[in-house]
Amino acid sequence: MILFKNVTKIYHSELSPNHISALKDISFEIGPQEFVSIVGRSGAGKTTLIKLLIGEEDITSGNIFFGNENIKETKFNDLQKIRRKIGVVYQDYRLLFSKTVYENISYIMEVMGFSDKEIYKSVSQVLEIVGLQDKALNFPKEISGGEQQRLAIARALVHKPELVIADEPTGNLDPYNTFEIINLFKKVNESGTTIILATHDRRVIDNLNKRVITLEDGKLLRDEKSGKFIL
Amino acid sequence: MLTSLKRILKFSWVGFLRNKALVLEVIFVITISISLITCLFLSQGVSKFLINYLQDKADISVYFKQNTSEQEIVKVEEALYQFSNEIQSVEYISQEKALQIFTEVHKNDSDSLEALEQVGDNPFLASLVIKAYDPIYYVQISNFLSQDSFKDVIEKIPYYDNKRVIDRLSAITDTIRTMTIGLGLILGLLAVLITFNTIKLTIFASKDEISTMRLVGASNWFIKGPFVIQGVLYGIASILIVDILFFILLLFFSPKLQVFFSGFNLLSYFQSQYASLFLIQVIFVGIVSVISTLLALNKHLKV
Repeated sequence: MILFKNVTKIYHSELSPNHISALKDISFEIGPQEFVSIVGRSGAGKTTLIKLLIGEEDITSGNIFFGNENIKETKFNDLQKIRRKIGVVYQDYRLLFSKTVYENISYIMEVMGFSDKEIYKSVSQVLEIVGLQDKALNFPKEISGGEQQRLAIARALVHKPELVIADEPTGNLDPYNTFEIINLFKKVNESGTTIILATHDRRVIDNLNKRVITLEDGKLLRDEKSGKFIL
Repeated sequence: MLTSLKRILKFSWVGFLRNKALVLEVIFVITISISLITCLFLSQGVSKFLINYLQDKADISVYFKQNTSEQEIVKVEEALYQFSNEIQSVEYISQEKALQIFTEVHKNDSDSLEALEQVGDNPFLASLVIKAYDPIYYVQISNFLSQDSFKDVIEKIPYYDNKRVIDRLSAITDTIRTMTIGLGLILGLLAVLITFNTIKLTIFASKDEISTMRLVGASNWFIKGPFVIQGVLYGIASILIVDILFFILLLFFSPKLQVFFSGFNLLSYFQSQYASLFLIQVIFVGIVSVISTLLALNKHLKV
């Protein structure tokens, strides 16, 4: 489903002569319905890897395939179609602050052309799952950091995407909510959705008992079928 | 397609109603821009009126020798029309009419009437009063009439006596024209820049949301549409405010301004030319706000 082939990402600085290699010759494959955790210290390249996969940043060299589509060569309209198949929980949430909680979640379904009835049904369901049903009419700035994180998760799941990418989705949650959210991702995965979870939460990884890709300084250090959090 | 359009309209309207402070600021600034355009439109009307008014004051007369027949005078008149298309009118004043005008004008001036009586015969000469569309053509007309072929019938062309006044009128009308064009360019440019920068700032305030919309897979038009329609809504609201405000202001101040502008009634002009003014306002808002929105959006649509 997803193929990273010798992917390198170098950031060029405008002032400093030193370039930053965020990813160095990374290659791996993720099959359909897999649950893969990507671990590594801060700055290891986890977020860069996600940004390259959704086409937010350009690849310096190598190729990334989503199905048969090469992300590097995909035209804008096709890239948008790919993005609609992916639900992303961003580390910084990237919520739409001028829209209510309900509208933040419904936006992607409106983009995809679902009917109002379908949208209402799906959004109500996912709001209940993440426990935000009472906050549907609030704006993101009116809810807590943890609730904003759950809103970001709801937005990533509502349109039942083929792939869910979660970048530190439990960073702002208490242990109880963390456990709930990871269980939710597991359930989503069991229903056939591929999950990529980027985290540095040891407890989460160790309890999952799923495939773990470890990054260090932009290099792929380990790729274990049933891994633990080892740095 | 229809669902998308419905949703774009909904996003536009909701955004317009929700960001009250921002909407008011933008409408205020666009109102200033449209006011500039409206002032420009009205000043064009005033300047046209003043130019016509001044040009109407200028004319040249050509006096015919005693005993020149009316037929010969008509021939000169025809020759004038053939000579130039710039002649607005030629009025024939016979000796009798000249006397009648003099008597009428000086009916309360006993000295003048007495002097006329002492002269005995009608001392006035028949003349043609020539009006050109623009005072600059009086030199050409005067030169044309000074030809040898008219020497036998024409007594005098007192153009050169009036030249200074005519030249001055010409200079004033030229200045009014230049000032109107200059003012138009400056005000027009100001209006465009103010509108463009305001819209750019409102879109800059939404740049993070725009990039998020892109990342969840929204099409370009799904993102651009609401901003473009909001720009149009700002414009419609601003036009309504400006037009109502100008109508009220002119209702109160037009009589006073009429004295200042040599009888030009700004309120009547505003009312009679409203369709053209409204069209100009709509075209200005439509083009400037839509182009500004699209240009500003393209800057933030590169994710």
